[in-house]
This record gives sequence, C-alpha cells and structure tokens, in this order.
Amino acid sequence: MASIELDRVSKLYANGAYGVRDVNLQIEDGEFVIFLGPSGCGKSTTLRMIAGLESISSGDLRIGGRSVNGVAPRDRNVAVVFQSYALYPHMSVWHNMAFGLKMRGVPLAEIDTKVAKAADMLGLNHLLQRKPGALSGGQRQRVALGRAIVREPEAFLLDEPLSNLDAQLRAEMRLELVKLHRRLGRTIVHVTHDQVEAMTMGDRICIMKDGRMIQSGRPLDVYANPADTFVARFLATPPMNLVPAHLEHEGEALVVSIDAATRITVPRQHYLPYVHKAGGPITVGIRAEDIYETQQRPEWQKITVKVVAIEALGAENVLIGLLGRDKPIEIQARLGRHFFAPVDSMVDLYVDVEPMHLFDAETGKAVARPPLPVGR
Amino acid sequence: MRKFGLHFGLILACVVVLLPPLWALRTSFVPESMSYSTEILPAFTLDNYTGLFEKNRFGTFYVNSLIVALGSVILALPFAACTGYAFARFRTGGRFARFAVLATQMLPPVALVLPAFAILRGAGLTNSLPGLILVYSALNLPFLTWILMGFFEGVPADMEGAAMTDGATAWGAFWRIVIPVSLPGLAAAGVLGFILSWNEFLFALVLSGPQTATIPVSLAALQTSNGVQIAKVSAGVVLAILPLVIASRFIQRFIIQGLTFGGVK
Ligand SMILES: Nc1ncnc2c1ncn2[C@@H]1O[C@H](COP(=O)(O)OP(=O)(O)O)[C@@H](O)[C@H]1O
Ligand SMILES: [Mg+2]
Repeated sequence: MASIELDRVSKLYANGAYGVRDVNLQIEDGEFVIFLGPSGCGKSTTLRMIAGLESISSGDLRIGGRSVNGVAPRDRNVAVVFQSYALYPHMSVWHNMAFGLKMRGVPLAEIDTKVAKAADMLGLNHLLQRKPGALSGGQRQRVALGRAIVREPEAFLLDEPLSNLDAQLRAEMRLELVKLHRRLGRTIVHVTHDQVEAMTMGDRICIMKDGRMIQSGRPLDVYANPADTFVARFLATPPMNLVPAHLEHEGEALVVSIDAATRITVPRQHYLPYVHKAGGPITVGIRAEDIYETQQRPEWQKITVKVVAIEALGAENVLIGLLGRDKPIEIQARLGRHFFAPVDSMVDLYVDVEPMHLFDAETGKAVARPPLPVGR
Repeated sequence: MRKFGLHFGLILACVVVLLPPLWALRTSFVPESMSYSTEILPAFTLDNYTGLFEKNRFGTFYVNSLIVALGSVILALPFAACTGYAFARFRTGGRFARFAVLATQMLPPVALVLPAFAILRGAGLTNSLPGLILVYSALNLPFLTWILMGFFEGVPADMEGAAMTDGATAWGAFWRIVIPVSLPGLAAAGVLGFILSWNEFLFALVLSGPQTATIPVSLAALQTSNGVQIAKVSAGVVLAILPLVIASRFIQRFIIQGLTFGGVK
C-alpha cells in the first residue's frame, strides 16, 4: 500500500521564505498524480519532502498510512527521477541501475535478472556497459527511469523528467510513462510545468502556485471548471481570455457589458449563481476554442474584434485581436484553418457562452456555479 | 605577420621562465671551479650528483622529503574532504567559517613557526618526521579544504539525493558517489598539497634536526662558511624538481579539470 497523504505540510526555508505552504493532499495507492505549476511554485520542494530529501517544517506526511516525517529517504521505498537525471557518471548503465539493489543487499544473481528485465522493458540492453557521458539525452532519461523501476518502489516521484527532451521524444515518453503506470500499477507523482503533460497523463492534476495547492481534480474537470483566473490561464494554450467587464441587469437577464457595443448575455441557467454579482465589476473568461467565425447556434453571441495578427498553425488559425473600444483587450481565438482576415480589419466572431466563466474582479476566484458537465 | 609576432612573444616568455631552471641544469653538470663561467658547457662532470649522495647524505633527505610530503597529504586529504564537503553541502558555519579557514592562510608563516615549535616540543615531536607531517598537514588543510569545497559544490546535490533514495546513507552517498566523482579534484588537491610540503623551508628548518632534514633544508646547508657550493646546489635543485615535473606531466589533466570544475561550467 502506498497511498501518500500530505496534511498541512509546509516548508519554511532558512531565509524565512515558504517554499511550500499548508499543502493538503490525498494520493491513493496506484494513482497517477500530476503536480502542475509555474517554475518556483514549490513543486520540486513538495516532491523532495515526499522523498525525504527535504525536511518538513510543519505538517504531517504519511506514506502507506505510516507517518514518515523523520524517516530517512532510504527507508521510504520511493524512487525519484530527477529533472537532471542525476545519473552516477562514474558508473556504467548497468551499475547505475544495480546500485539501489546492491544497497539493499539483493543477491547478485537476482540483481542481474532484475536489471536485465528493466533494460529490456526500456530498450537499454545494448547500452548496459556504457557510461552516462556516452549516452544521448533520451537514453539518459531511460536509464534514470530504469534505475527507479528495478527497485520496484511503492511510489515513483518524477521531477520534470521530460523537460530536457526534444518535442518528439517528449511526446513518445509521455505515452511510455502512461503505459508504464498501467503495467506497474504503482503510485506515480509526476511534476511538470507543461500543461499538455498535465492534461494527458494523469488521473488527477494538482495545480500549485506560490507554494500553495490551489486546485486539484481530474484534468478535464479542472479544465472545465477552473478555480480562479490563474488556473484558467495556466491550463491552456492559448490561455483563457480574461476581459474586465461589468455585470448588469437587462430586463429578465444578466448581461456582461464590456463596452457599449460589446454586451454578452449570460445563459439563463447561470442566472441564479451569478445574480448576486450584478451591478459590479467582473472578469469574464472565454476560452479561445469557444470563439467561432460563424454563428452555428442562435444563443451564441457576436463580438467584434480588430485583427492584430493571425497565426496559421496548419490545423487551425489562431486569431489575435483587440476587443472593446475604450480600453481594448487582446484576446485570442482558435478558428478554422481557412479563416483569414487582413490585419487591422474588424471581424465579427461568435462566442459560445455556455462554458463562459465569471471571476471576481478583485480576487480572481471563479464565481461559483454548478460545474460544467464533462464528456467522459 | 601577426602570428609571427605572437610566436616571438611567446618564445621570449618561455625563455624568461625557463632560463633559470635550465641554467641550474647546466650548472649541475659543471665542475664547481667553473660553475660561474659564462660558457654554455665548459666541462662535463657527474661529481656534483655523486658528491651530494656520498658526502651530503642527500638520499636520506630525499626520502625524508618524500615521506613528509606524501604523509602530510595523506593525512590532510580526508579531513579536508570532510570539511570541504560540510562547507559545500551543508553550509556548516556559514560564510564566516569559510573565510575563517581561508584567513589562517593570510598569517605570515613566521608567526606560526614558534607556536608550532612549542607545541611539538611539548609532544616530544621536534626533530621527527611525524612532527613535520603533522605540521604540514595543518598548514595544508585550509587550502586543500577550499579546493575541495569548490569541487564538491560542482557535484549536483540531486546525485546524492538519488543515492539516498536508492538506499544509501548520507555517508554512503558521500563515499560511494561524491568521492569517486570528485577524484580529479582530490588528485589536484593532493598534488598541490604535495608540492607545497615538498618545497616548504621555514618550518622544516626550525622543526627538523640533522637526521630529519628535508631537501630545502639540506640544500640551504650547502651554503657553508667556505662559500656557496653552487654546482652542488644546482644538482640538488634538479633532483628536487624532478618528481614535480614528472608528477605534473601525468596529472596536468586532473589539475586543470580540478581547478576549473567548481567554477564556471
Ligand atoms: N534552499 C532554499 N532556500 C531558500 N529558498 C529556496 C530554496 N530552495 C528553493 N527555494 C525557493 O522555494 C521555491 C520553490 O522552489 P521549487 O520547489 O524548486 O520550485 P519548482 O520546482 O516548482 O520550480 C522557489 O521560490 C525557490 O526559490
Ligand atoms: Mg523544480
């Protein structure tokens, strides 16, 4: 059993700054969890505390139900794959992989079979005699993974293991890791700042910012129902468009007023949760993929933007435009690959308002409403 | 043309640097009576070398120097490694401790030699090789610590983290990972410590006796009341720098790697 529980875990550094603050988290046995957040938000620190490489300033950490705050790394039975891989440069690949088993006093014959099996799984057979210095980045990454696998730990802690690979290799390894998790069934905590990894790999993502865990949930749930503007922007490329506006009554309905000409009616089913914000400032969040070049449904609503640029990505064109007349805000829209418009021209676009979010203008917190249903 | 100028300049610099040792080499093969002649090689003899060993017990002093220099390095390196590692990884004592260690190097040796003598006499270790080894180890420690500290700072902490999650203790990670990875640094520090001890004169003069003198002291003794036996001194100098030349030839690679490892990547 290797559930991992963090109970108000904090890391206070000697300089008086918090690296991690009051993190609560329950990771089930066998779960694949992603820590996502910008650089410096405390992901590595949290991971290192779980591994025992960083002391815990306050709070309680339990692995498999056992409190391990003061337990040495070697007695936690977890394996870490570091961003830098941290291979032992003076040892061959075989010895790198065998080191953990040797330290645990496993008989040599058994080490041999285990290393061979892991090397087989990762396609490292022909490299076993090489030193890490003679390997490519991708091969080193595999060795680091192999070193973790041979030990058959209760949990794998991966600190941005793919960030040093080129795009293609990264995509391959993403899939490999998911397969590996399926095959081994062990708990995996995977740290990344890459939202594609976060969305595609894990059972659950935990989003961190400034040392705090601000949202955790299944990837699509978090995507559809971001807790605040930070999550909303961070979890997508292009990020969610956030436009300052005013929430007003208009007859029976609520209207988001961006300027005199740009007014978006709030869908009727969101009237009740949002009505208490009426009469005040609001930040409206619209995902780039919820903006279309044609009106396909009657309830979609028109906005007019001034074209700044169009980025043709092949599969789609991303329009960057200015919305609003008084204080124009730059927004991005993912449109069809056949959409073109001259720079500086005005174009009409249509917003699917159902997934639209409203955020508190000051705190950035999402105004609560029933979560959007997500296709499963 | 620019290349010619460059080469000319470099050759000139080499000559300036190499002339004194080359002249010493030349003088070591010239009879004492002709040693001050300006001719390149007025006569050739090996008497200076044989004389050193037969009349001046140079063999004993040579062995003394080897024992003292090697002994002090072997004794000091483990301490320097542990101290340097503590400074580098755990920031033990903060910046103050680092600079306190370095500051001891700023003291003029003369200020230390009398206290050292008093301590050794208290321990009954004057005129003994172990006494000299102890003192040289202490003298080398700060500087070896600094070299190794720089080196250990270049060893990624994650490597030790990996070893510790792999099942090693903190000590095990140090011994099995950090030390092997730092071998070039240890070699560089060892060689530099050896050279310092090998060349040291003042402490050896005060702390050693007739049986325990080292090469620098024995060479100084050739400046007798009948004048300086310059040809013999030259022969001694040639023999003294021989091991250093050979050593540096073999471990030049390590020294360069060792001295640059901790700095810019
Ligand atoms: N030894 C340290 N002393 C002080 N602050 C530190 C130390 N190590 C990390 N930090 C700070 O803690 C924060 C979290 O760091 P880290 O966990 O490495 O972030 P991430 O892995 O998310 O990029 C950063 O702001 C970093 O500057
Ligand atoms: Mg990190």
